[in-house]
Amino acid sequence: MRARARRADHRDVTRQTGRRRAAALAVVALALAGCVPSRQEPGQATAAVADALAEATSAGETTRIAVGLLDDGRITGPVADTVLLDQLRVLDDAESALTTLVPPDAASSARRTTGLDAVGDVSDAVVAARAWAAARSGGDLAGDDSVPASADDLLAELTTALDATDAALAEAGGP
Amino acid sequence: MKKLLAAALGILTAVGGFVDIGDLVTNAVVGSRFGMSLAWVVVLGVVGIVLFASMAGRVAAVSGRATFEIVRERLGPRAAGANLLASFAINLLTLTAEVGGIALALHLASSVEPRLWIPVAALAVWLVLWRVKFQVMENVAGLMGLLLVGFAIALFQLGPDWGELLRQAVPPSPPGAEHPASYWYYAVALFGAAMTPYEVFFFSSGAVEERWTAKDLGTNRVNVLLGFPLGGLLSLSIAACAAVVLLPAGIEVSSLSQVVLPVAQAGGVLLLAVVILGIVAATFGAALETALSSGYTLAQYLGWSWGKFRRPARAARFHLTMIVALLLAVGILMTSVDPVAVTEMSVVFSAVALPLTYVPILVVANDPEYMGEHVNGRVVNALGTVYLVIVVVAAVAAIPLMIATGAGS
Repeated sequence: MRARARRADHRDVTRQTGRRRAAALAVVALALAGCVPSRQEPGQATAAVADALAEATSAGETTRIAVGLLDDGRITGPVADTVLLDQLRVLDDAESALTTLVPPDAASSARRTTGLDAVGDVSDAVVAARAWAAARSGGDLAGDDSVPASADDLLAELTTALDATDAALAEAGGP
Repeated sequence: MKKLLAAALGILTAVGGFVDIGDLVTNAVVGSRFGMSLAWVVVLGVVGIVLFASMAGRVAAVSGRATFEIVRERLGPRAAGANLLASFAINLLTLTAEVGGIALALHLASSVEPRLWIPVAALAVWLVLWRVKFQVMENVAGLMGLLLVGFAIALFQLGPDWGELLRQAVPPSPPGAEHPASYWYYAVALFGAAMTPYEVFFFSSGAVEERWTAKDLGTNRVNVLLGFPLGGLLSLSIAACAAVVLLPAGIEVSSLSQVVLPVAQAGGVLLLAVVILGIVAATFGAALETALSSGYTLAQYLGWSWGKFRRPARAARFHLTMIVALLLAVGILMTSVDPVAVTEMSVVFSAVALPLTYVPILVVANDPEYMGEHVNGRVVNALGTVYLVIVVVAAVAAIPLMIATGAGS
């Protein structure tokens, strides 16, 4: 009688152990299923491009305000420099978001390339704005052709870059 | 002037609670993304903090006990210990953000790398905590923080369409381009910032520092009724400036330097200088508040001798706690963490910890053993109960909203 009960207990324990193993295997299988190369749906990739472009637009518009204010003498050189430096960090993040994106199809890849170009153009304009602000604050940048001669030149360059960003953003389904 | 100085404790507390570094940026983010559609949260937060700070001040004045002493007495050592852990961690995060905020403000004024300013800022905070009398400290930091009224002046100088601002605020609803979850995430963050627990710890401990008695209940009322609504107004002014200048340009605020652009546009270099000085004072005041709150909470929980009215040698562990907290803050900042991100996190986590602080205050304010004839009236109790429900809802919703929205992004 006892032996039969023990055998029944043993079968229960074996069954429970089997179930646990199966559950553990299922967990491992699920975990391994997640270990595939990073891949996004086309909609997610386009949204990521649009987010990065929106950040670039924001940085460009902030630069436009800062340049206008510095030109009017309404902000000091250090404040303008800090504003522009902060925008370069934003653009760096936007560029990083685009370079690390894995496009799932050709259309997303093309949008990403257009987006990277547009973000690069805005970055160039902000870098130029920083050089212009430094020159205006007395920096020894005379003779450097990369420094815009006036705020108007700089704002024109910025407008061109922002137009390209707007076009890329519209293509990516942004506002 | 005498009345204004009498309200310095409330003003300093409110400036820290409503316009510290995280709030400065969060208010501008909210204004640039949601216009004035979250103004109702600031109003809700002002009424809530006026209600509970008034209770905490009254309890301190009548019983001579600060809030955390009461939290431990009413909740017992275990529950109060959990509260202490949560409060201390949030305080430390906020202190870290404020020291970083002072450095960011000085970076804005000087263009010198913020990491060079961090040790200077922490040393200055410690020197004030060590050497300067409580009343001098609250008067100078609180009243200098009022320079942030420059945001309100800037708003008038910008000459906004007031009708449009009102239309954004009433009826409150998220703008079409924004996801409702992000809207509610920022609603909880603003509410958490307005009612952050360190405000009542600091305010009630400050009342004990100033040796308030039942005779000072009028001063308590002046402090809460002047200080906190003023903090709320400053907060709304920052959001409105961003809504007028940055929202139409499609600018997403991510740094302190963007927050001051509307001020420069409105008032030029002079007003900008006033506001930057105000930002330094507000973040410095908030750093003092949070450092003191770290010392207050730990000392009050463990029954140590505390208070700036005592010489440092007579409250050595209280002062040591503040020194350690400041060193930890500097250490965290030296990892190049973004102070603004730190304070945004601290505001959300403080929303989670709100019920642990406000329940005991409401209980004690109704206890005749502590309060005698000064127990809460019916209206205050009804409002307090309504606010406890809101506080619990905010506490429950905070973390899921933060995860669902990727911290509002």
